[in-house]
Amino acid sequence: MSIQIKDLTVIFKNGVTAINHADLEIPNGIFGLLGENGAGKTTLMRVLTTVLKPVSGTVTLDKILYSEGNYEKIQRKIGYLPQEIELYPNLTLQECLEYMGDLAGVPKAECRKRMEYYLEKTSLVEHRKKKMKQLSGGMKRRVGLVQALLNEPEFLIVDEPTTGLDPEERIRIRNLLVDFSENRTVLFSTHVVEDLAATCNQLAIIQKGSFLYAGSVKDLAEKAQGKIWICKVSDEEKAREVECQYRITSKQYVEGGLQLRVISERMPELECVPVPGTLEDAYIYVTSQER
Amino acid sequence: MKKETKIVLPFYKIAYGVFFVIILSLIRGVTYTYEVGIAIEAPLAILTTVFCADTYVQEIISKRSEIHILYPIKRRFCSIMERIVIQEVFLLVLAIAGYGLFFLFQKPITHPVTENETIQFAAYSFAITITIFFWGILVNTLSMFFRNMWMGIGGCLLIWLITNSGGGEKVFGAWNLFSYTFRDIENAADITWLYGKALYSCIGLILIAILPNIIRKRG
Repeated sequence: MSIQIKDLTVIFKNGVTAINHADLEIPNGIFGLLGENGAGKTTLMRVLTTVLKPVSGTVTLDKILYSEGNYEKIQRKIGYLPQEIELYPNLTLQECLEYMGDLAGVPKAECRKRMEYYLEKTSLVEHRKKKMKQLSGGMKRRVGLVQALLNEPEFLIVDEPTTGLDPEERIRIRNLLVDFSENRTVLFSTHVVEDLAATCNQLAIIQKGSFLYAGSVKDLAEKAQGKIWICKVSDEEKAREVECQYRITSKQYVEGGLQLRVISERMPELECVPVPGTLEDAYIYVTSQER
Repeated sequence: MKKETKIVLPFYKIAYGVFFVIILSLIRGVTYTYEVGIAIEAPLAILTTVFCADTYVQEIISKRSEIHILYPIKRRFCSIMERIVIQEVFLLVLAIAGYGLFFLFQKPITHPVTENETIQFAAYSFAITITIFFWGILVNTLSMFFRNMWMGIGGCLLIWLITNSGGGEKVFGAWNLFSYTFRDIENAADITWLYGKALYSCIGLILIAILPNIIRKRG
């Protein structure tokens, strides 16, 4: 399964261009979509789930063109976890999943089987009798993910699935998504670089509705190599001066001053040592170049 | 059915529905038994409007509609219809109970023109069933069309004000939405109010028929 996006433009009724002539190919496997808040990630996902209709451009899913006549065919292949969703507060977790599985057309016995499997995988088994309104934010997020997986979609779209999860839960969800992506396509949107570094081989960076980068995680990380420096300054005032000149990705107090992680094409005229760049550094480097 | 009931009949809705009917039967004065149905019909239309306005729109408010869009239309249609039926059956039970409460609190007397209380109750039951059916379907259709339950309630209120008035009675006559309320109560043989009920049953059925299209375009 692959998704082709060609010259896609989405303009809202208020005139804001959310996606601007974007081209992208999403191959099989788990594909990351990275971007700051308001970059256009959710808009793109809403187009892919057929919630939003683009102004121009084409989208195809396994060579099926996104058009009014094909929507039902496309919708059957998709599972979706929106960024914000409130599942039925008066239903128990189990009832909620049974209900949504039924609406999705999953046969009852199959739905129960899958539900057991995913509840186990997301550590929700013991909470199945709790009402949705009694669950914590992280639990609700996990239930949201399970409902998206229930119909075993060929194309899974998850919008910030790890929001509100503790570190252990995050790892569990990331692993679940990686397992699920075998022979399927998973579009994993987030602004947490760490999540993508741990799951994806391919990713795209979106900013102000345009793709700044689309390719492998490895190639993106390469972009920052030789451009990351750890610099030491004596006090806060000096640190502020450095911040005015360079892009700083981290700052911490150490013995005898402050240690700054600086992105710069050339070695800053400070007490510096070069360090290997991380994916986060590369992301900041790519996005700051555009600014 | 159990899950749909839990979704569309939360405790607060049951509570305000019950209180509405109790308060109505306490404060709306009637002298004769043939006035009971008249006292209930129009207020119950308002209750139905408010009660059923969020039948589907709750999915939009909670953003669940973005997932619902991926479900087959047939299942979404069945789910909405199931929800409407559950709410309308509940409202019908309230309407019947309300009829009894008027007898309990107001102790109306039988007017000489009333030949049979059972037939009068049957006529009321029929009229109120159509009223609940129509307003429930209408408010859901308008709310879904505008993707906003207040637009649905507002639109229904406007229609209610027009039809439940002297002007509405003159213009629409026996074809009025509230033809039962405006019937000639002193002439038990007059059944022309059935025209209005038949007409709005048909309109309700047409609204049901176009529901799949509204789900597709506005759901």
